[in-house]
Amino acid sequence: MSTSFDIAIIGAGPAGMSAAITASENGASVVVLDEKAACGGQIYRNVNNSPLENPEILGSDYTKGGQLVNEFNNCPAEKYYNASVWHVSDSGEVLFSREGETHSLTAREVLICCGAMERPFPIPGWHLPGVMSAGSAQVMLKAEGIVKEDAVFVGTGPLIYLVIAQYLRLGVKVKALIDTTPNTAYIESMPKFPGAIPKTGMLFKGLSLFNEIRKAGVPVYRSAKELAIKGNEQAESIEFFSGGKKHSLETDHVFLHQGVVPHLNLTRAVSLDHEWDKQQLCWRPVHDKWGKSSVDWISVAGDNTGIVGADGAELTGKLVALHQLTRLGKMTETERDVRAEPLNVTLHGLNRFRKFIDSLYRPLDEFRIPQDETTVVCRCEEKTVAELRVGFDQGGRGPNELKGLTRCGMGPCQGRQCGHTVSELLAEWREEEVAEVGYYRLRSPLRLLNLQEFGQFSEIEPVNAAAGDIA
Amino acid sequence: MNRLKPDVLIIGGGIHGCSAAYHLAKVGVQVTVLEKDWVSRHASGVNAGGVRLLGRDLAEVPLSKVAMKLWQNLDDELDADTGFRKRSLINIAADEQDMNTLYARREKMHTAGYQHETIIDQQELRERLPHVSPFCVGGVVSEDDGYAIPYQSTKAFRRAAERHGAVFMEGECVEQIRKVGTHWHVATRTKAFQAEKLLNCAGAWADKVSVMIGDNVPLTHSAPMLMITARMPHFATPVVGAVSRPLSFKQFENGTVLIGGGSKGFADRDNNRTRLDYKKLAIGAYNAAEFFPIMKKASINRMWSGLEAYMPDNLPVIGRSVNADNAWHAFGFSAHGFQMGPVVGRVMSDLITTGQSTFDLQAFRIDRFERKVL
Ligand SMILES: Cc1cc2nc3c(=O)[nH]c(=O)nc-3n(C[C@H](O)[C@H](O)[C@H](O)COP(=O)(O)OP(=O)(O)OC[C@H]3O[C@@H](n4cnc5c(N)ncnc54)[C@H](O)[C@@H]3O)c2cc1C
Ligand SMILES: Cc1cc2nc3c(=O)[nH]c(=O)nc-3n(C[C@H](O)[C@H](O)[C@H](O)COP(=O)(O)OP(=O)(O)OC[C@H]3O[C@@H](n4cnc5c(N)ncnc54)[C@H](O)[C@@H]3O)c2cc1C
Repeated sequence: MSTSFDIAIIGAGPAGMSAAITASENGASVVVLDEKAACGGQIYRNVNNSPLENPEILGSDYTKGGQLVNEFNNCPAEKYYNASVWHVSDSGEVLFSREGETHSLTAREVLICCGAMERPFPIPGWHLPGVMSAGSAQVMLKAEGIVKEDAVFVGTGPLIYLVIAQYLRLGVKVKALIDTTPNTAYIESMPKFPGAIPKTGMLFKGLSLFNEIRKAGVPVYRSAKELAIKGNEQAESIEFFSGGKKHSLETDHVFLHQGVVPHLNLTRAVSLDHEWDKQQLCWRPVHDKWGKSSVDWISVAGDNTGIVGADGAELTGKLVALHQLTRLGKMTETERDVRAEPLNVTLHGLNRFRKFIDSLYRPLDEFRIPQDETTVVCRCEEKTVAELRVGFDQGGRGPNELKGLTRCGMGPCQGRQCGHTVSELLAEWREEEVAEVGYYRLRSPLRLLNLQEFGQFSEIEPVNAAAGDIA
Repeated sequence: MNRLKPDVLIIGGGIHGCSAAYHLAKVGVQVTVLEKDWVSRHASGVNAGGVRLLGRDLAEVPLSKVAMKLWQNLDDELDADTGFRKRSLINIAADEQDMNTLYARREKMHTAGYQHETIIDQQELRERLPHVSPFCVGGVVSEDDGYAIPYQSTKAFRRAAERHGAVFMEGECVEQIRKVGTHWHVATRTKAFQAEKLLNCAGAWADKVSVMIGDNVPLTHSAPMLMITARMPHFATPVVGAVSRPLSFKQFENGTVLIGGGSKGFADRDNNRTRLDYKKLAIGAYNAAEFFPIMKKASINRMWSGLEAYMPDNLPVIGRSVNADNAWHAFGFSAHGFQMGPVVGRVMSDLITTGQSTFDLQAFRIDRFERKVL
């Protein structure tokens, strides 16, 4: 097994797969690492070996991924699955864990395309058992074929409608959709609509999903506000306002979703520069048009760069690969530019559509910046808004100081779940821009690491205490 | 008071700067603390929290013993929660050679009149640490030792100092120091300060500040590394170390286990950054699992390191400047200065206000290496 490559690609979603195909077919030695057992990423998970009898019900956007997956499987890149990257060093060493052992490899160029995760949805009671994200519901469905009957779906954004439709097509009963898209959003996003016209096909798909849900008779509550999930040990009901009235629905299963944000743990841990994206209300690594980050040999692609969607991920993956090939001396600049031209045209069109979507499904302030004192912000350490406020008043003005004072963000998820909330909450309290507030300083490991596994990683020579003492 | 012209200017908002500020403010001295980042950002906020008297260099024992007494009631004194827990500290002997090391040390300690370290045999070791590996043959224990929460402890000194009128200014990096007549003129990027007296508590940057004052010092800096596990069932009450192996850990009340071991990463102090050396850090994991098999299945949650100041003899600098009047130093604690925080601040306050200390500080002179003929 070789341990040195031209390019190491972290993440085998549409971005990583397309980058690997382009790079490896043009003479670069490529390794692709993914922590999952197969390629496909978030969207094309198990596309060619679905646990479902007829995966077509998941929609054509899903099944069309089969082709990309086949191409990827046939390309000369090395593929390491169940390989979870937990560290990338300043010098280009990649450490990953596989079957209980830590391995290391080096690469001249690194591409990070770890995709996106769902935006946290911090409302009262969201931490209770029985509450999950709509994306996790979809993961259970795609990977294991598991569904929950009679669930209430809450939130906004294309994914939530898609998951409900997928449920309905399987004959699973959905108790209700509590839609948090404000009525005004439809009006406010209209100015961006012309940009979306070339992509009307996508738009119709969105609308038809919504119609599918209505036709199936799922009660839809629109423009919902003041959400609160109630329950002692477990979710029992959800309360909210809609249509000028207070409602309460009994349910054991609540699925929340309000869009996705880039997965930051790796890009933050390697200390890439990040910026706050005001359109998408999220942090993203700073990058140029070739996906090159603030660190010369690290590039980013796909949803990891800011949300671009599956088609955008595929395109940005290719663009990065072209540039990396040029940097490696395997492709002339002219050829790179000629090949990039049509990709950029398509990408431009997608971005205009994205602006419209971002505006239409922009999550409301009240669902991003929790105002209720009892709302849990950090689920790992169970820290509430009130506890954070105390820390803030004691001088915890930045995310790291607040973490030191309150333990918010110290748990196993490394702040993945609360990072965006804390940045925005502090910005509100400080009356400053989120960009001023910043984000957690993150460190490897990116995942929980078994002590025994890690211990074996050292090349042990019995060392004597002379190594120095820490009391 | 005028915050730009206090009686005493302290450079550095770590535990030593904060403790000195507290002790000075308490006796009515006007102090301003200048901190280039934020209070507790560096070693004092990210250390292992070990409050250890066991195994101290003989020169440090008198200070460390008093510090240990102060820790027992520190929460009351500062009216705060430092998270201090008295848990005892056991250094484990892995073989007979380790035991011999312990007997030799006992001899030395008894001669010096110290009785706080007790050797224990294998049976007692197992009673105190039921999960210890069977190959371990004994150990040595210090009963008053324990741990505290670094960030909270340092903040506790700061808050208490503020209640007595001390001023803390964060984001103020001292860039220039000049003596004009009787006063020190200290400049940060945007502000100018004046004071008759100056205290250098600048941690891993203290050699730079020393030079500005006029003292040379062979200080180095490094980045000791730590890791912490996810919560585990309770299995160890005492803090644990080893006689001759880089092993050190403590289990907190929430079940998480903090593992040290003395290995060092890479330090880049100009950029406030450290980088971990995973292969070395892994040695701590290896030793922890070897001495305590129950830890094999533990999951490491986070790893980090902090910038620490080291002197060639691993002893701090505590005392007055040798080349300038009205300047003092307290730095270079060489990875075990957290425990000394409560006492060194008091010593500095005594030195600054009375010119004297009840402790013999010869071993900590800043010029102790200069006088050596090479
Ligand atoms: C929960 C969820 C559900 C979604 N469902 C849909 C949908 O149904 N339809 C749709 O059009 N879009 C969906 N999206 C959006 C869609 O997934 C993305 O637009 C698209 O997948 C982006 O592709 P990508 O290559 O950038 O990232 P991804 O497809 O997310 O791929 C990233 C890959 O990186 C791997 N990875 C991450 N970290 C590491 C690590 N440390 N070590 C090794 N591997 C790692 C992951 O296992 C993953 O396979 C969903 C997004 C989310 C978050
Ligand atoms: C990982 C690790 C584990 C440790 N474990 C233990 C332990 O278990 N037990 C123990 O007793 N000790 C331990 N130590 C050692 C202990 O943390 C330190 O000895 C102690 O905190 C030093 O405190 P300090 O105030 O001197 O320095 P610091 O906390 O480093 O504070 C110095 C401050 O001065 C500031 N500064 C520097 N230059 C300037 C300037 N020019 N202008 C303004 N401000 C400036 C810095 O920003 C810094 O905040 C450990 C250290 C580390 C790094």
